[in-house]
Amino acid sequence: MSVSWLHVAIIVFFIQGLILFAIVPFLLSRLLAHRVKAHELKMPFECGMPPHGSAWMRFGINYYFYALLFLAFDVDVLYLFPVSTYYIDANQLVAFIKLLIFLLILFASVVFFWKKGVFTWPRKIKM
Amino acid sequence: MMDLIFFPWQLFVIFVGLAGVMAFVGLNGLLLVYLDRKIAGFIQRRVGPYEVGPQGILQPVADGLKLLGKQIFTPKGADPALYWLAPMISITPAIVVFIAIPFGPNLQVINTNVGLILILAFTGINVLALCLGGWASQNKYALLGAARDIAQSVAYEIPLLLSVLPIIFLTGTFNLFDIASGQGAWPWQWYILHQPVAFLIFFVCILAETNRSPFDLPEGESELTAGFHTDYSGMAFALFFLAEYSYMVIGSCLIATIFLGGFQGPIASGAWWFLAKVYILLLIMIWIRWTFPRLRFDQLLNICWKWMIPIAVVNLLVTLAVISL
Repeated sequence: MSVSWLHVAIIVFFIQGLILFAIVPFLLSRLLAHRVKAHELKMPFECGMPPHGSAWMRFGINYYFYALLFLAFDVDVLYLFPVSTYYIDANQLVAFIKLLIFLLILFASVVFFWKKGVFTWPRKIKM
Repeated sequence: MMDLIFFPWQLFVIFVGLAGVMAFVGLNGLLLVYLDRKIAGFIQRRVGPYEVGPQGILQPVADGLKLLGKQIFTPKGADPALYWLAPMISITPAIVVFIAIPFGPNLQVINTNVGLILILAFTGINVLALCLGGWASQNKYALLGAARDIAQSVAYEIPLLLSVLPIIFLTGTFNLFDIASGQGAWPWQWYILHQPVAFLIFFVCILAETNRSPFDLPEGESELTAGFHTDYSGMAFALFFLAEYSYMVIGSCLIATIFLGGFQGPIASGAWWFLAKVYILLLIMIWIRWTFPRLRFDQLLNICWKWMIPIAVVNLLVTLAVISL
């Protein structure tokens, strides 16, 4: 595999961005900032009261459902990206009909979820 | 694809571009903080920052220095590695993205034919950073803010992609330079007139992806204190803010390149036209922020699923039909 300048540029920009915009400010802050040790300093903010229990609690499974919905959609939309660069050169009518079928099936999924009542944000989604 | 054995002229270009991009990001951060506060002041019939320098122009520098002097510490119970990684992950991709943006006819770090994909891919990393930051800081407000941010960014990613697609079907390229130079110099030759619906959807999605008002629920002050960065102080907080403003600039650069003709203008095309367009878009974003009230969360997601995605799909279909018939 040949190395293109784009790869070099991405790596250089990433490393320099990490050093100059992320690590150097922290080091400078470490040098310049005062350091106080107080008992309550490191307490997580919860309106001034001592935090009640851990923040790492469980979430409703509904959120997982929306994530799946997104994943299905995003992957389907990504299929359109390679098609889009070639569309102008393609046999237009046949390509259009194929894409029409693809997009209608994609859109049918939104209609399906709509009818299922997913977008009324119920507490529990019935499958 | 060039051979690395020859004189590395491209390497020189990369390093000069790197210096330019870093200066651009830093200056934009300072300028946008000032503009945001000053315009907020004028809209609310105050003067805004006024004391530091003439008309308060040095206020962002003072803010930055103050944040530099603040103590940085890890909250009790937080996951230290993830906690410190989050602001770094947030700011670094913002630098990388500027590789592909054509600022002017000869002002682009690398003219690449995957420019748009590169930008869409790297800006997606920001969601991960906010997720890590909110999760690792062991704070309930931060966790709620992060959860909201993920739901929002994930939902608005789809209309964003769907509204970019018509332009790519029209031009047949991901090369941002080609997209910009494919449009004419005059406003009626820009793609905004070919694709007004896509432009509106794209603009709203950029607002939502960068967590700007009226979509700033992840950091809604009135309910979540400060959202995902509640427990971040000093420089970490500053990095999150610099990243947010950088992503605003990147979004405006994308809109200007794809829909508004990029660096082309009626007289004397060049980088100044590009910067003028970007700054007009940024000012509109700031204006929107101080004008519209915040949405409720189910409204936010319903606008995306019930309006934006169907309209974007129909727009794409109409575009395809027009191209092929």
